[in-house]
This record gives sequence, C-alpha cells and structure tokens, in this order.
Amino acid sequence: MDEENSKPQNGPEVRVLKDGPIRLKGTFTFRDSSGKITTGEQEIFLCRCGGSANKPYCDGTHKTRGVQN
Amino acid sequence: MDKTDRKYKNGEITVFWQPKKCIHATTCYRELIEVFNPRKRPWVNMNGASTSEIIRVVKLCPTGALTYKNNADTETGNAGTVTSSVHEVTAEVRVMEDGPLVLKGTFALFDTDGKELRHMKMLSLCRCGATNNPPYCDGTHRKIGYTGK
Repeated sequence: MDEENSKPQNGPEVRVLKDGPIRLKGTFTFRDSSGKITTGEQEIFLCRCGGSANKPYCDGTHKTRGVQN
Repeated sequence: MDKTDRKYKNGEITVFWQPKKCIHATTCYRELIEVFNPRKRPWVNMNGASTSEIIRVVKLCPTGALTYKNNADTETGNAGTVTSSVHEVTAEVRVMEDGPLVLKGTFALFDTDGKELRHMKMLSLCRCGATNNPPYCDGTHRKIGYTGK
C-alpha cells in the first residue's frame, strides 16, 4: 500500500469534535445501516457517544451525558 | 511477519491474519460466520466452509488484514499469491449496524485538537463511545453490547 503517496487533496473532511460528534463535510457517499445511500455534497453530524436517540445522527445527547472524549 | 500475526490452515490453503491491519470492518464474519467467528478461539475455523468460499471472503477484506496462500506454493518455497483487494472508491462513509463508522477512500481526518490524523485508505471510527483508542474503533462495542442503527 502506498499510504505515503495518498495524502488527501480535496477529499471530504472528517472532523472528530471534542466531547461531541463526528462531522462529515464535502462530497461523498453515505450509506446507513439499512443500506440507504445519499450522495453528493453534504454535511452530517454522527453520534460518537453511543447515546443518541436518533442514531446514527447526533441529537445533542452527549451534552446531557457529559461525554468526554 | 509480526509476532501477533496468525495463520490458519486446511488441506489446500493457509489463511494469514495480521491483527495490526484489522480495523474490525466486520466484513468477514458477516459474510461467513462459520469460518470467521470473533467469539470463538481460535477465531478462524478452516473446516467451517469450502476452500473456495473462504477465498471469496478473504478477498473481500477491505484492509488486507486477511490474506491467503496455496499450501503447494508455501511448501515449494514459491512466494505464491498473497491475495487481498483494497476496494477503490472515491469517498464512502458507511454506518455498520451495532458497530463502527467505516470510511473508505480519500478523506482529510482531523482529531479533536484540530490535528490531522494519519490518512489511510480505510479506517473505522468508534460510534459506541467506549473505545480505548479514540477516535478509532477497537471492537469494544461488542463487549458492551452496543446497539445502534
């Protein structure tokens, strides 16, 4: 594998937010666990604390749970 | 070969597993639990399915953690074909039921402090909140019985 040569150029951005969700921003294919696919430019916040009532999306529950990671 | 690497053999082929490459994408055991069962020890049962079926699933491994060789090649000293296929996709995000978030393709990944993390062709990120290696998945979701669409 040529990991050194595959530096991202203008790929979508994945940001792990402190004590919060994962933010995906840019043009990519998103496939949920039911197999539903969305494509194109999008911005999605995904739960990282395990506590969201609206998984896979973040619903802000991490704040009430005081999640730190 | 790393000391954590494992090999599993039947009459025809040897399957190699390199845990350091494995990101628990779950492809192998979702496809063929009779052979690849993470709850069992050893976790690979080479008698659980036909050789052709095992080869099919080894080739699906997205990271190359699973590879195989024909035993005939190994015995003759022939390097053989250690086969793996890294899927070529532009950028895909996939939510695994009761499991992690799997990213494939070219992404710019930033940690909580804004630092850019090591870029890989494929990686999985924790969704259950319990990993010991944030932001990456380390398989803990299975231990805690995490459920999530």
